[in-house]
Amino acid sequence: MKIVVCIKQVPGVSSVKIDPETKRLIRDGVISVINPFDYYALEEALRLRELHGGSVTVLSMGPQKAEQSIREALAFGADNAVLLCDKHFAGSDTWGTSYVLALAVRKIGDVDLVLCGKQAIDGDTAQVGPGIAAHMKDWPHAAGVSAINGIEDHMLSVNRMIDGGYDECLLTLPAVLSVIKEINEPRVARLKGWLKAEHSLIDIWDADQIGADVNLLGLNGSPTRVVKTTPPKSRDRKTTFFDGSEAESAGKLLYELRIISAI
Amino acid sequence: MKAAKVNLNYKRYRLEVSPPKQAVNHLSERLTRFDEKYNKAVDAGHCVCVTDNAMGNLAFQGHELIQELKLPVRFGQVMIHLNTFHTLSDLHWILDSCGELGIKEILVVSGDGSVRLPKLKPSEIDCDSASVTSVELLGYIRKIYGSAFILGAAFNQYEPEAHEILKFRRKIEAGAEFIVTQPMVGRNELIEKVMSKTKIPFIIEAWMSPNIKLLSDCIGYSIASEDTFDPMACLESLRNAYPANGFYLALLDFKTQFNNFQIKA
Repeated sequence: MKIVVCIKQVPGVSSVKIDPETKRLIRDGVISVINPFDYYALEEALRLRELHGGSVTVLSMGPQKAEQSIREALAFGADNAVLLCDKHFAGSDTWGTSYVLALAVRKIGDVDLVLCGKQAIDGDTAQVGPGIAAHMKDWPHAAGVSAINGIEDHMLSVNRMIDGGYDECLLTLPAVLSVIKEINEPRVARLKGWLKAEHSLIDIWDADQIGADVNLLGLNGSPTRVVKTTPPKSRDRKTTFFDGSEAESAGKLLYELRIISAI
Repeated sequence: MKAAKVNLNYKRYRLEVSPPKQAVNHLSERLTRFDEKYNKAVDAGHCVCVTDNAMGNLAFQGHELIQELKLPVRFGQVMIHLNTFHTLSDLHWILDSCGELGIKEILVVSGDGSVRLPKLKPSEIDCDSASVTSVELLGYIRKIYGSAFILGAAFNQYEPEAHEILKFRRKIEAGAEFIVTQPMVGRNELIEKVMSKTKIPFIIEAWMSPNIKLLSDCIGYSIASEDTFDPMACLESLRNAYPANGFYLALLDFKTQFNNFQIKA
């Protein structure tokens, strides 16, 4: 089974800053991590490979420094990795991004399954998974996948989380899935994996190599525009230590909570 | 497999050495630094204590570093921390590997979680508690591995006395054979009271960072102290106050402090 896992490098949650001019996230100089939901997609891919054999390829679009996140995915046990890196990709919206990822999936060739996390924590759109399926033309897509029940005769059975419960549906392969965290418990990478990943080869493909039309990339090729972005208001926090016996401390805590109308 | 008894009050220092965090950047250099600290401590006759994802930050496990870097495991000179934030299979991977490597001392703690760390479930280790703490983990290791390891537990002298003494008793009943305190910056009445009533060896943890505010952040309680803190002087006074105890040195600076206390060991 040939599986592709799409991962995105995102800013660590405590270090999000927005460029007031471009309204885009400032990614330079901030701690970057693998999008947390993508760990579940990667874990599921590794489990499917363990069950059915085949290979897992990690695919990411981003700047050169996204290589760090790709190496982390390799440390978990992915077999191959591709970084899609080109100045023309910069500023692409979810439609442009999924176009690029879909072209890469085509270039990889003979892919049975594409797995994505349910959404990236920086954009929160959840559109790239469905976008890849749309660009692959006749590939089915399931969102909110909480379990893969089995694969038989090129049919994939999955559970999806829906309002008020779950449903079970069948998809023909090849397919694209967006998975949620209920699907598994991601493993922790081991030192041997990291040492192997440190020197693993990462293919770096540009727009030319995947045959992309540059008019469909970047800000110019993106049908959506972010017109305004504001960071969330920071919440003031303070810590108070209460001295005295347990009863005295509890009394002081109760008093403070009443003052701020918390109880 | 039966562990030989170690005299835990022996005046050997237990030196905390943080394992490298899980990241690809400068991995080889970071591994080399760990290797150097480990060998330096062991060669000087001390015990290396490797933390387990301290503060919830994902790091390499002590046993895999020892295996990969082919570090020596001398009897009584390696202590591995083990917390409850593992899958059951990883827990057994760690303990089985420690057994194969000859690592005997395991400090069992509840630990700090994070979104990237799994957590042992009570049903996985056949216990009916609401969650797995160091008590349940101690009991499970004893049940499965018998006396293969010398198990330790933590004592937090900053917690309310009645609560902590109850937990201490449960840890001992579950199989703890030695205790490591929370970092101390001076004598402590509760520690002395408990030590006077038990034969369980207490290892006194000394805070070796000049940043005393960090200690307050780590333990969650404000430590009343002067702005300036001299860790070496503090260690000296603790040694004088507790001459029969072993010492665990947290946040030791190998560059500036190692040679100083080595002379006094």
